[in-house]
Amino acid sequence: MATIIETRGLTKRYGRLTAVEELDLTVEEGVVFGFIGPNGAGKTTTMRILVTLLRPTAGEAWVAGHSVLKERRDVRRAIGYMPDFFGVYGDMKVWEYLDFFAACYEIPLETRQRLVDDLLELVDLAGRRDDYVDALSRGMKQRLCLSRALAHDPQVLILDEPASGLDPRARIEIRELLRELQAMGKTIFVSSHILSEIEEICTHIGIIEAGRLVAAGTLEEMRQRIQAQRVVRIGLMGQDFCGLSRAVGEVHAWLADRPDVVRVEPVAGNGEGDLQVVFTGNDDALARLLSEMVGMGFPVMMFHEKTGDLEDVFMRLTEGIVS
Amino acid sequence: MLTERWQTVLDHPILRLELRRVRRKHWWPGRRFFMFYPALLGAALGYGVLLVFSDLFDDPGGIHVAALVTGVPVVCLVTVVTSLLSMALPWIAPALTATTIARERELGTLDLLRATLLTERSIVLGKLGGCLARLWPGVLMLILLAPFQLIWVAGSGSTGLLSLVMIDSGFDIDQAWVWLLLTGVAGWLKPWGDLALHAAVGLFASALCRSSGAAIVVSYSAILVVRVALWLGQMLFSSLWSLQFVDWAQPMPAMVLVVPSLLSLAVAFIEMVGAALLVWAAVWWLKRA
Repeated sequence: MATIIETRGLTKRYGRLTAVEELDLTVEEGVVFGFIGPNGAGKTTTMRILVTLLRPTAGEAWVAGHSVLKERRDVRRAIGYMPDFFGVYGDMKVWEYLDFFAACYEIPLETRQRLVDDLLELVDLAGRRDDYVDALSRGMKQRLCLSRALAHDPQVLILDEPASGLDPRARIEIRELLRELQAMGKTIFVSSHILSEIEEICTHIGIIEAGRLVAAGTLEEMRQRIQAQRVVRIGLMGQDFCGLSRAVGEVHAWLADRPDVVRVEPVAGNGEGDLQVVFTGNDDALARLLSEMVGMGFPVMMFHEKTGDLEDVFMRLTEGIVS
Repeated sequence: MLTERWQTVLDHPILRLELRRVRRKHWWPGRRFFMFYPALLGAALGYGVLLVFSDLFDDPGGIHVAALVTGVPVVCLVTVVTSLLSMALPWIAPALTATTIARERELGTLDLLRATLLTERSIVLGKLGGCLARLWPGVLMLILLAPFQLIWVAGSGSTGLLSLVMIDSGFDIDQAWVWLLLTGVAGWLKPWGDLALHAAVGLFASALCRSSGAAIVVSYSAILVVRVALWLGQMLFSSLWSLQFVDWAQPMPAMVLVVPSLLSLAVAFIEMVGAALLVWAAVWWLKRA
């Protein structure tokens, strides 16, 4: 896969404040790259440099092979940008808004009408074609903005917090749209401060914190990074309380002896017969553990891994840096 | 080729956007506006004809009768309308230009525009064109009134051509046409120079300021300062320059009478150059950011 976004030593300082520091980032073509970080981590600054709105203090960046510093027009042609606010003119009609931006991208008058209709169709706003932009809901405005970013059929979409401030339904709609766009072969570079928001659509994740890239890789890599220690929950069954507690005791002892088990602890509360196991090992080892337990005749009723969601990854990786 | 070029100008997205706004806000004057012009034209033609036929320079009394009969109403109308317009247009323009780019910045759409293929120059010029388009009834009126203004300049006021001839200032009638042209052109250019400069100051402030409110305050303050400076300079220069011609024993030479017009021309020229520089500065500022 070809590299489509690349930054090398990208640095941006505002006076004494360093917003982005020595950022080395590589995004390959066709991926959905989630750019995650808390507010003020430098996400927007990075994106604004990539879309040529901001000049970096040091370093260089390339989009679709064009230098952000020297070939700004080519970069702009390759990028569809959606900032973290609606850039809408309320006093325009929906079609006029799209027509205006299509004209800004030098799309000739003859093809524009057709293009506007197609774009509205894509974001499911065809019915609101002649309404004023102000009359649209937040979710619709966001979709309109997305369609604006698509007007010149860019290779790369740079979306700054596309889901912020939207209700769950609008969020899902945006997500579906992004899936569709990825299927169309677009590279999507999307930022968010809420990881779970974009976790489902991303193929790659980069975590930025205080202007530095803390970690980057595919979704799986990122999960594994944090899940060198996996947490498995095991539920046991017993005829009565005594039987159950004996079974729990046996299993506890058996598990604690295993080398790949770091820690075993009973789960308090209503999961009376449950154990939580911190386990190191890959999927094969985990499967073996289960089959061995069954082979030992333990009354296993439930066995599942707590997939620490990426939120945990995020929290652990960014721990302590801010403070 | 030429039509293609026009097409690109007319298809300029920002200009189109602004024109659409003008149209939507019903800023088009009605038919009555266009009726006004032929009426004025007719009256002025009558005035001119009477001037010519009243044996202009032999019978000053005749001129006055003619002027009184047809001229005065026309002169009054033209005077009032042109002076109002030449006052109003330059002072309204900065309110429009000062808000135009700053407003985009407030809305967050300036970044969107800059992220497109539009160049900074294109954005600034489009915005300027859009603002002038909003003022178009006044602009058109001022253009159309130009010939009447010339007549008015020629025929009235203490420095008017007729009074000069009549007070027998030694004014050579062959030079009079040069003088007439100079005064007329200077008088006509003045509001355009003002308009250009004020609009450009507003535009520059708009490119500079974060909020449109600040841009308005900055541009009007700057314009006030510039106006006072220009006025003072003009007064000082005109009095100093005139002094060298003054010889109290002699009648006033005709040259002195040309000084205000020449200065006014010079100021209009300075204003236009300043306006061009400011527009360029606005483009430069946007590029730099």
